[in-house]
Amino acid sequence: MTCAEARQHWHLYHDSEGDVALHAEVAAHLADCPTCAEWFHLQSQLERQIAAHLATDRADPGLWARVLASAGAGPLPTRSGGRPGGRGALAVATFVASVGLLVWWFSPNRRDAVDTGLARATAGLHERVQSGREPFEFASTSDREVEEYFKGRVPFPVRCPPRADAGFFVRGAGVTDIDGQPAAYLRGRVGGTAVSVLVLPRAALDAFPAQRAALRQYGIVHAPAGAYATVLREFDQNAVVVVGAADPAALARVINAYGSYPEHE
Amino acid sequence: MAKSAKAERFLEHLQPLQRKLEGYCRRMSYSADAVPDILQSAVASAFRDFDLYAEGTNFPAWVFGYLHREIQNANRRHRKHQQVGEPADVAAPDHWSPPHELPVHQLLLDAPEVVLDRCDADLAGGVRLLRPVERSVLLLHAVGEFKYREIAEILGVPIGTVMSGLARARQHVREHLAAIATEADSTRTRGGA
Repeated sequence: MTCAEARQHWHLYHDSEGDVALHAEVAAHLADCPTCAEWFHLQSQLERQIAAHLATDRADPGLWARVLASAGAGPLPTRSGGRPGGRGALAVATFVASVGLLVWWFSPNRRDAVDTGLARATAGLHERVQSGREPFEFASTSDREVEEYFKGRVPFPVRCPPRADAGFFVRGAGVTDIDGQPAAYLRGRVGGTAVSVLVLPRAALDAFPAQRAALRQYGIVHAPAGAYATVLREFDQNAVVVVGAADPAALARVINAYGSYPEHE
Repeated sequence: MAKSAKAERFLEHLQPLQRKLEGYCRRMSYSADAVPDILQSAVASAFRDFDLYAEGTNFPAWVFGYLHREIQNANRRHRKHQQVGEPADVAAPDHWSPPHELPVHQLLLDAPEVVLDRCDADLAGGVRLLRPVERSVLLLHAVGEFKYREIAEILGVPIGTVMSGLARARQHVREHLAAIATEADSTRTRGGA
């Protein structure tokens, strides 16, 4: 594949669209061509910034309570027989509060999320790997080599998050254990920040009932751990944690990208 | 299905999408004042038809389809009332390909956040100048985080139209931002001379 051909397919590569063979060809070209790799990186960085600005918008805090009530899909205020400020108002207030709680819970910027055992364990591993205290088993910047490395070492498939989706550039990999369960970790960078991805069998969550309950309820869990932010989700038979001293929204993009493979959809 | 159970299940699906639906509606509708009415009509229609939704299929694409149709109708009614035109979705070939080297101001590539932070309103303005289908594709991708095939499903267009529309939209937005960045640079240079 020539530089011109690779750049022609930039949109598909950036959006993780198109067929696997095309992605492999483009990735192979980028591995051999630092000029194109830099060009792709700059284009993707710009598109991510534009998309982030478009996705960020001021929200009207009372809007959804009004919309849902008017649409008949949410709690309606009582029309008669109730005292002003009675059950109807209470229902609306409860609903607004619960919507607010959800917005707060999913907000990547909230500072007071619950600290959790799994978040601490993952942050500890991340710090040990970064400082060199955890044996670093396999160094590579190739997604394909890293994915091959895990075959036979852990009893579940491990993939690198599509770099075009979240800007995660792998630097290496290793295998460890969390509470007696085998766990795979990817070491990499998002922008200039070190980020690790930990992949566990879903059964490993049995040792962390609070996180498991939060996942059941909310689907995604943000939790700070010391200087790091973590985000946790489940995909198929795995629990996946992304950790780093990065913007929680950037970590969420990495974990969502991890789940974008066809086998996870 | 009992109404309360239906409402409960509907809200479970809807709540994680509310910010995205609101953001898409704000950037697509002709006026910010119209957003509550458009959202309400779209949500009411989706809730009415929720019995038809097959559990386990793609709820985000399903509900965004209702919102998109409601926005189209509202924008059409507004244009008719105001007798103003909007750039038409003229037939464009699906096989259109972007040029290899997109015209981009170097500052925009090297430090996009610097340009974007200072011209957020201009970005919104640039998006509003896009043809409706290009604007929809760009926003469904950026705000709704949909894949190409999901966008094609929501808009009821071929996937080729999504691909070419997204490529064109990106190019036009970049050209718009690059022009602003160039203008800002030249103003600064003149001011400093």
